[in-house]
Amino acid sequence: MLTQMIIRKLFNLRNANKRNNLKLSQRCFSSHLPELTKNRYSVKRGNYAVLTEDHKQFFIDLLGSTRVITNPDECLSYNVDWIKNVRGYSTCILKPKTTEEVSNILAFCNDNRIAVCPQGGNTGLVGGSVPVFDEVVLSTSLMNKIYSINDTSGVLVCQSGCILENIDNALEEHGLMAPLDLGAKGSCHIGGNVSTNAGGLRLLRYGNLHGSVLGLEVVKADGEVIDLLSTLKKDNTGFHLKHLFIGSEGTLGIVTKVALQCPPKPRAVNLAFLGLQSFEHILRTLKRAKQELAEILSSCEMIDASTLDVCTDNLKLKSPLSQYPFYMLIETHGSNNEHDQEKLNKFLEDAIAEEYILDGTTTNEINKMKHIWDLRERITEGYTKDGYVFKYDVSLPIEKFYSIVPAMREKLANEDTVRISGYGHLGDGNIHFQVSAREFSQQLLKKIEPYVYEYTSDLRGSISAEHGIGFRKPKYIHYSKSSGSIKIMKQLKTMFDPYGILNPYKVLP
Amino acid sequence: MDDYKFLFKVVLVGNAGVGKTCLVRRFTQGLFPPGQGATIGVDFMIKTVEVGNEKVKLQIWDTAGQERFRSITQSYYRSAHALILVYDISCQPTFDCLPDWLREIEEYASSKVLRVLVGNKIDREDREIPMHVGEEFAERHNMYFLETSAKESDNVERLFMQIAEDLMKQARMTNIPRYDPNSQNINDSTSNDSSCCSRLN
Repeated sequence: MLTQMIIRKLFNLRNANKRNNLKLSQRCFSSHLPELTKNRYSVKRGNYAVLTEDHKQFFIDLLGSTRVITNPDECLSYNVDWIKNVRGYSTCILKPKTTEEVSNILAFCNDNRIAVCPQGGNTGLVGGSVPVFDEVVLSTSLMNKIYSINDTSGVLVCQSGCILENIDNALEEHGLMAPLDLGAKGSCHIGGNVSTNAGGLRLLRYGNLHGSVLGLEVVKADGEVIDLLSTLKKDNTGFHLKHLFIGSEGTLGIVTKVALQCPPKPRAVNLAFLGLQSFEHILRTLKRAKQELAEILSSCEMIDASTLDVCTDNLKLKSPLSQYPFYMLIETHGSNNEHDQEKLNKFLEDAIAEEYILDGTTTNEINKMKHIWDLRERITEGYTKDGYVFKYDVSLPIEKFYSIVPAMREKLANEDTVRISGYGHLGDGNIHFQVSAREFSQQLLKKIEPYVYEYTSDLRGSISAEHGIGFRKPKYIHYSKSSGSIKIMKQLKTMFDPYGILNPYKVLP
Repeated sequence: MDDYKFLFKVVLVGNAGVGKTCLVRRFTQGLFPPGQGATIGVDFMIKTVEVGNEKVKLQIWDTAGQERFRSITQSYYRSAHALILVYDISCQPTFDCLPDWLREIEEYASSKVLRVLVGNKIDREDREIPMHVGEEFAERHNMYFLETSAKESDNVERLFMQIAEDLMKQARMTNIPRYDPNSQNINDSTSNDSSCCSRLN
């Protein structure tokens, strides 16, 4: 009975999230547009063909006129990323429905040297999913079929344009859930998730996509379809090629189908929101949470005071706690509520006794959980209201997790900024760090980059923990990857895509 | 860590709208937040007080009164040192529910837990439960009794201070060491305090 209730509640929560995300995507294009990427970043256009009427006619013959968008107004939303950092000027958006269509498009583009920008839900944060110049956009939005869900093995097979939340809703009927969950779930496509190796809020518990993707179908630049669509948990036969397409951001091939290993949906979910005095206390709380909550710990996030302000001030959300320098969100997923609450309360009691935690609230009531999660999931949206946001996404050794924020505050003390703050996946050592200003400024950019990457590199961190390299970071990839490994990446790129038509200007320097 | 000697867990229960959250806010922050929404789940906070020259930390757990928000129940009773059961002196049904709350306390809390009955909202003109009725109920059930007003700050400080003093006395008698996070239930080692049915004032 209780279980059913929780499942029902979770379902409602999900729908509520969906509404939020819809709102979010509608808001995207309401205010002013960013400068064209080619001008702001002075990039040189590659030696690709300029699209002719004949090219367009080929696409129309292939897909029909409704699935080839050339109207400039309609093209606009495919040309701008949702945090309005970058803008291209593609005049042709293609919407294939099948692998065969993708294959035909790519073969044609490869033969004619037409550059292609693959695009899923366009929720990327590093400019990877929008064209830099006039690349043809290949949108996966109509490739949204779910082929099968096996509730014994937990394997789902679907097309790459399925929206993550739709996958999750379909899985729910089988007592399963998607192995990843992120703020953009109402818009992002699973193909985009795979191509960027998206992490999200529960990576700590459910691992990353290199583990949960069992198989893929991909189309190479020349149109050849590669069948890697295994649904087996174990398959050590030859090179594990699928991994090359997980996180390579559409530069080696376009993902058309995905086989995902999905975990059972938890019957018990509990959430605690905590106020803390210092980062030191956060570390102690994290350690204790890992020890005491152990196998039921599903998420461990931190938010600093200045970041929470974007939710409370910019979005007018209400925090259930009074003000503290730091906040933590700790979630448990389990199968028995009594057991989980016992553990959670013991953990909280002890952490309060040790004074790691000064104030907090805990609940498994669905609306309150959603309310608390909003304070975390809507941060990116809240930030956009500050003006222009310089976003970074770095992994650092856990002890140094937050150190980048005070370091940056010192460095930018005399600059005109709105906010310098950090939040993120504490349990994964991945901090989202940002500087917001009323508007974009080269001067500020030069003060932040490459300093932020040098700082990260000196600590042996990663300059892009989960958002990828996209357009914004190729020239900094060397801060996290050796020259030997970059060389191999370039060789692979040449092998898979000799004319460089797939997502050019991205990932590799 | 601070050099406090004692740490006690105090849990507030009682019907929705009787003023549990307001009592806690008044005590911990000196505020009376008007238009307070219903508590959902459990809120917790710490307040350090001084008894004699000793620092005592109170860990206060403020629970939801409404049944549909009270999903987290049993486990927070278990390790409580004191339970504050609150009713609203201007609302008969909140008093009528006390036996139900006591049954829950009997079921889940330690038998040694310090129990305090609080009639809140004495600032209100429309009293429905005379003071002696509350007092008698408390005596019958071996509870301390106190009437308070979170709004006017009447007896709020006294309520928590008296609990701190009493728990400290108990702890001293049985020579309880500082809070030990490894022991599941501190109350089990305390002796039964026979002074349980006196009034606080």
